[in-house]
Amino acid sequence: MRNENIVITRYQIGLIASIVGATGLILGIVGFLWQGSFTTFIISSLIVGGLGTALWALMTPSEFRAFIQGRQVRQSISSVFAALLLLGIVILAYGLAQRAVISMDMTIDNQYTLSDTTRQILRRVTRPMQITGFYSPRGVAFREIDDQFWRQYEEESGGLITRRYVDPDVEPGLRSQFQVVNEGEVFLSFVNPDGSLDMPSTQIVPRENGQERDMSQTISRMLIAGSVTVYFEVGHGEYDPEDSTQQGLSRINLGIQQSGLITLPLSLPELAASGGRIPDDASALIFARPQTDLSEAEVIVLDDYLQRGGSLFIMADAVFVDNPFLQENGIFSQYLWNNFGLRPLDAIVVDPPMGVRTPVDIQSAAVFTGNPIASRLDSDTAQLQFNIVRPIQINTTPPANTTNGQIILSSDQSFAERNLIAFGQSNTINFDDGQDIRGPFATVAWADNQATGAKLLLTGDADFATNGLVVVGGNSILFTDGLVWLSGFADQLNFGVQFFGSTAPFMFASGQQLDFIAFLTVFLIPGVVLLSGLAIWYRRVRA
Amino acid sequence: MSGTWYIFRREVVQYLTSPLAYTVAFAILVITGFLFVGDLTTALTTRPVNAAVVPSFLAFGMVVFAPILTMRLLAEESREGTLELLLTAPISDTQIVLGKFLGAWFYYTIVLMITFSYQIILLTITRPDLGHAISAYLGIWLYGGATLAVGMIFSALSENQIVAAFLTFATLLLLWFAEYAAQIVGTVELAQIIRQLTLGGHFSSSFGVGIVRLEDIVYYAGIMVVALFIAIRVVESQRWR
Amino acid sequence: MHYEAEHTGNFNDMIEIEKLTKRYGQHVAVDHISFKAKQGEIVGLLGPNGAGKTTTMRMLTTFMPPSEGTAKVAGFDIQQDSFEVRKRVGYLPERIPIYPDMTVWGYIAFWAQLRDVKNMKQVDAILDRVQLLDRRKTLLRNLSKGMRQRLGLAQALVHDPPVVILDEPTIGIDPQQVIEVRDAVRQLGEKHTVLFSTHILSEAEQVCDRVVIINRGKIVAQGTPATLRTQLQPGAHLFVQISGASAETILKLLRTIPGVSDAQPNGNGFSVRTGTKQDVRAEISGRVAGAGYALLEMRPVAMTLEDIFLDIVGREATP
Repeated sequence: MRNENIVITRYQIGLIASIVGATGLILGIVGFLWQGSFTTFIISSLIVGGLGTALWALMTPSEFRAFIQGRQVRQSISSVFAALLLLGIVILAYGLAQRAVISMDMTIDNQYTLSDTTRQILRRVTRPMQITGFYSPRGVAFREIDDQFWRQYEEESGGLITRRYVDPDVEPGLRSQFQVVNEGEVFLSFVNPDGSLDMPSTQIVPRENGQERDMSQTISRMLIAGSVTVYFEVGHGEYDPEDSTQQGLSRINLGIQQSGLITLPLSLPELAASGGRIPDDASALIFARPQTDLSEAEVIVLDDYLQRGGSLFIMADAVFVDNPFLQENGIFSQYLWNNFGLRPLDAIVVDPPMGVRTPVDIQSAAVFTGNPIASRLDSDTAQLQFNIVRPIQINTTPPANTTNGQIILSSDQSFAERNLIAFGQSNTINFDDGQDIRGPFATVAWADNQATGAKLLLTGDADFATNGLVVVGGNSILFTDGLVWLSGFADQLNFGVQFFGSTAPFMFASGQQLDFIAFLTVFLIPGVVLLSGLAIWYRRVRA
Repeated sequence: MSGTWYIFRREVVQYLTSPLAYTVAFAILVITGFLFVGDLTTALTTRPVNAAVVPSFLAFGMVVFAPILTMRLLAEESREGTLELLLTAPISDTQIVLGKFLGAWFYYTIVLMITFSYQIILLTITRPDLGHAISAYLGIWLYGGATLAVGMIFSALSENQIVAAFLTFATLLLLWFAEYAAQIVGTVELAQIIRQLTLGGHFSSSFGVGIVRLEDIVYYAGIMVVALFIAIRVVESQRWR
Repeated sequence: MHYEAEHTGNFNDMIEIEKLTKRYGQHVAVDHISFKAKQGEIVGLLGPNGAGKTTTMRMLTTFMPPSEGTAKVAGFDIQQDSFEVRKRVGYLPERIPIYPDMTVWGYIAFWAQLRDVKNMKQVDAILDRVQLLDRRKTLLRNLSKGMRQRLGLAQALVHDPPVVILDEPTIGIDPQQVIEVRDAVRQLGEKHTVLFSTHILSEAEQVCDRVVIINRGKIVAQGTPATLRTQLQPGAHLFVQISGASAETILKLLRTIPGVSDAQPNGNGFSVRTGTKQDVRAEISGRVAGAGYALLEMRPVAMTLEDIFLDIVGREATP
């Protein structure tokens, strides 16, 4: 390239002025045709256009005159018309393409295509729903990506789910109705037969795990909202479902509620005293480490519930009190043994090979994955972690109409320490021949009665479900899938993790590999290109 | 069409023997190389690699590079006087403009293919989202074609390469920046219309994230067709005087 | 595109120009000019800068359309059958068009291909003819001005066109090369019809079979060089250097000599113009010697066309 001085001539000023003028005039005219009225923008465009044209006429009068008279005008006008015609055709084609909504999801894990899980959820939608998204002009790009998903919900649900986008600045009424706080918030509501929104049913779609998972979970939650109730027993000193400390159960309680289930407290002692019964809507009754054992009256109330097909989620634990819960010779223990062939022993499992810090903080040694509760537990990332576990004895010839089985086992090097007093007072563990028993033991077991529909899930530990431990390994899966199985809405509810996860793997590479890649891409490839350029340059100066 | 082919071939040879073209390619490759390795390092063990890191950069990069690649094409011909010979050779103005445009696009395609090798390199250490990458590359390939076509207009308009480059840059910057300008306008409808006019609006939330949409292909193809038509008319306008 | 072009007119007339006119706005660059060129004829287009030579040629090569009038090249109308015209015309613009980064061979081959030359041996042949074959791999940026001129000529001839249009092919090159180019053009006349422009009368005289003189877009005169010279050069132009008296005195003396129309100081000597065709040299030397001065130098000055035009224009202005 040769360097040249840029001299601004009259001609160039005229040229620039003509371009500015033409642009202004075209913008003004197009704007007027578009909006149909003279807005400030259009008027200023026209003024700029006029000024530009005037400057052009002033700077290069001869050219301007020739433009008005000559072939240039004829040709230019015909060219402008042809260009506009072409533009019209292009815009038409664009409009058609846009309306046709033809798109292809190229990602290897089909991130932008609804998954089978979502399709299953959508198949259960019977009542019209509306997705209401609040996007201001700042969020158009965001809205465009969201819409790629919401549009598919509309199509896949056969129009039962519709979408509506609201600019929160334009419709502040709706904004306050939905209590919108942030840009880009999306809500899901049922639609009444008269077309109005069923506002009390409205739920906000959380923005946590990507559009599809967030929306599908919200839909799922709406579908089962209020139809399933889970009770927490609170009359025997259990862990508190409202407690948000490490020892509380607020996390699982909230998780259940977020899945659309209702959780309520229930006091068995009060029911027994008042002669009441466990409500019919109880999909499950959860015992989270009761301290004291049940009375006979309470067992009668429970039996009544189980006869009606009730479900019990019993998280027993070793408690060092008088009259502890589910003591071996207690009436409730007897009841479970007689009716389900399961009972926890008055012992704790000591499992040195599986111990995390101590031999009583143990991980699962074996998982029976054939069971729906355990199907997702068989992976390295879903290791369970228990803290002081009671072994569960299983009657291999269960009562009539009943089946039972083990889910989690301790290792064959484990044993059951029966001297709970010594352990409770001084943390002493040692194997006493003749008294203690050799493992392996079941630590989680299940049973159900085909005649009544009653179900029982029994764990030898309750700590795994507390706020402190539920986030560890597969603990939340055990709780979730256990409750799903008990409440019988396995096909309705997915509030677990990793249903919609991306399959593109994270990357692991050694420093050496990274260095090599950096060398290749930052030095070698550009270097080869630069050297080729230099070679050509050299050949040129030499020639 | 053989005229187009000869013009195209001359332009390609021109690029392959021009130190400027190598310098531009070098600049692009160094930047994309750094971005790629940077993304790789931050992604390590925490997330999958971003398959669109290079195309996303080029969405802005072409605003700068397209003027440099196209400024020469017609401006030089008219300054050196070769345009007069071209216009009196038995080929049409369309063939001249088309041949030159395809030459520039071909050069761009080669540079793009070199950066695609990063994805191949990735295959040795992970399973990159090649589908996403292909979508993003397809998008930025069309995007680049559109910016080059816009550059053709100004190269045809001006004899001065610097002026041509500057006008192209200004136009592309406007088309690029409007995507962000759209966010400050009053209504969503207007914001969407502006966004649909911009180059980036048809890349960042479709090709760039792994979705190939027909409307975006039509948009870029449309820009190319209209811009080339205008460029052809501008070349032809030499004859109108 | 396929043209079923029709030959019209006399095939013998390779160039027919009929009232060709070009206007730029108010300015008329070419004003109703008409002339013809026969096959094998070398026609010189003669005129001062800005006379409309280049514009005329650009219209003939279909680079720009005329405002009025028509022209035919090899029987094809420049507007209706512009592609047929382009195939049959070899054109060398005034400024040699160069792709600086191409090789000599590549450059000629490029134009050959664009003009439908199938046999690439023609490229070697034409390079050989303009003596650039040994330079075939040289980049054009490294060629000398004269070589570029020959290259431009090669470019115009590579497709063996029946009509060759050369715009001031001898401008800006050294005298030896001017002679070469003139020889080359003369040789072209054997096979091609050549239209070439110049503002040097002697060049037109040497090279052309016929000369068309234009000024301000109009044809002033046309004919063979010999007839034109006699028509257009009514007087001679001499340069004399005389010593022995003051410039004033000598000027007075010169102006009194019969046949001398004007005398002006010019450098260290004087310009003398004669009004008629008679040779006044003997008279001048006689008078100068008679007055007792020394005649140091006396030589005829070749009149450029511009000088002649100045004469003509001067005469037209003061009738």
